[in-house]
Amino acid sequence: MTRLQVLMIGMLVATLWVLPFDVWSMGSRVPTVGMQAEDFRLADLAGKEQSLSQYRGKIVLLNFWATWCKPCTTEMPAMQTAYDKLRDKGFVVLAVNELEDDVRVREHIKQYGHTFPVLMDHDNKVANQFGVFGLPVSVFIDQEGRVQEYIKGGLLTEQKIDETIARIQKQAPIKAAALR
Amino acid sequence: MVGKRFTLGFILGLALVFFSWPGAQPAQASCGSVTCFVVIGSQQQVSPKGLLTVNAFYNYTPQGTLLSGTNGVIPAVDLDNRQLILDHHREIRTISQMYTLDLNYGITDRFGLEVAIPYKRVKHQHFDGLGEDIDGNGGTGVLNRFSDNGIGDIFINAKYNLLPTLSSMVVTGFGVYIPTGDHNQKTAGIEGAETMEPTAQLGRGQFGLQGSIYQTYEIIPHRLNQFASASYRHTFRNNFGYQFGDQFDFGLGANLVTVPWLVLTNQFNYRYMVHDAYSGSLSRSATPSDGVLFPGEALVLDSNISNRAVPTTGSTYFAYTPGFQLNLGEAIKTSLTENTSVYFYSQIPIARDFNGNLAQGVSYVFGITKMFQVMNPS
Repeated sequence: MTRLQVLMIGMLVATLWVLPFDVWSMGSRVPTVGMQAEDFRLADLAGKEQSLSQYRGKIVLLNFWATWCKPCTTEMPAMQTAYDKLRDKGFVVLAVNELEDDVRVREHIKQYGHTFPVLMDHDNKVANQFGVFGLPVSVFIDQEGRVQEYIKGGLLTEQKIDETIARIQKQAPIKAAALR
Repeated sequence: MVGKRFTLGFILGLALVFFSWPGAQPAQASCGSVTCFVVIGSQQQVSPKGLLTVNAFYNYTPQGTLLSGTNGVIPAVDLDNRQLILDHHREIRTISQMYTLDLNYGITDRFGLEVAIPYKRVKHQHFDGLGEDIDGNGGTGVLNRFSDNGIGDIFINAKYNLLPTLSSMVVTGFGVYIPTGDHNQKTAGIEGAETMEPTAQLGRGQFGLQGSIYQTYEIIPHRLNQFASASYRHTFRNNFGYQFGDQFDFGLGANLVTVPWLVLTNQFNYRYMVHDAYSGSLSRSATPSDGVLFPGEALVLDSNISNRAVPTTGSTYFAYTPGFQLNLGEAIKTSLTENTSVYFYSQIPIARDFNGNLAQGVSYVFGITKMFQVMNPS
């Protein structure tokens, strides 16, 4: 057996090992439903630092997006509507922009009249933290900071947001009763 | 509905093209052919879960350049008599055309399968039978032309995205070439029907393995993207005792998004191919210095069947490949053009060494990519 054949067989074994288990990763992994969302700190468009933990007690829709991403901008009006409707009822949208400059994002936000907080993930760190490698991704986080839903692709509608929030709100009293 | 119709139409159209060409024509003895190789991002990447990426591309590769210090005289691989005859052909030109249907499907977001189905068309011209006295020609050889076409070896590749982030991607792949291409094609040669040489067959006649790695990085997100790729292909020895040499391909380049519908690509490609090997006896064509034996039958140098490197196979090739991609969905807003792009590359040789064989000239690749979300990604 030549050295090259040995190399090929080695590659085959390595590939077969990696493929079925999906365990070897230099990137981060998608958080599973029920797990605690990892905290982060990012600057918003005004330069003010915001963290995920400061919204503890609220339902958070963490949305990863970019201006060039059509499905992202398509679902944003639904997010804005839900935010307008539910911001006083313990709901917040955190729109995390990926790898774009502030000027471009500020223009976009102004043009479409979005009022929810927009955080700038310049170095892709928070996206990696949440296993995001395609846009858009939306993560619903409950009042206790646990991931409740992870949605890939541009699938968010106003109805979907309302339903998810309602489901999370319904879970909270049950959990509280169980703790008592 | 439109997507399904398009898919059906696409497959039917491709099938029509496949089957409308004439069948394999009588062919003379034959010689090598090479193909152009470029990095097409949508082919190397792992499709997201549930996404089917269809690439259909055409590849035109001429091999007809005599490099300095070469004369195009190469050996013949006589499969029926299990012999390698040195200096038996004088090459004129080979045109290789390949129509490939490449399907990429994301099983998970990080693991994908690729199936590439090639349809090959080879046209070749050379002088055969150098040194032999055919119809009293004095050993100058006989001009032969042939062409052949059909399905080549299908490639099945498993890919895994090692580094799934928004700005980077590292994809490893391990694939198998299935010997689906015809490798028993007979010729209507100068001494009656004989088995065509392995390098001119549509398939290699034996399984092959390929390992690959592909890397991309967004230097300026959604504006300037760098990529690199490397692959290694090994083919096992076929039933005729012929083994194609190992192949190493490397690519390095960048994509520049100028406007959303136009992406410019520049890449450098390097290929190293090891000599083919043949298990057979060794002869050589008669030359005028052989006196009365010229012109005449080939002279046996070694009657033992043993493994021999085939001279004039193997090559080193370095090329510059500019190209562009038109994102039709960005330019024309219709359901048909959504998630669709067309691309064109021209591969220009910078440095090449083909071990005395004809060298590969400027090659072209053009194709179309369409993506279909066949399953919900969540």
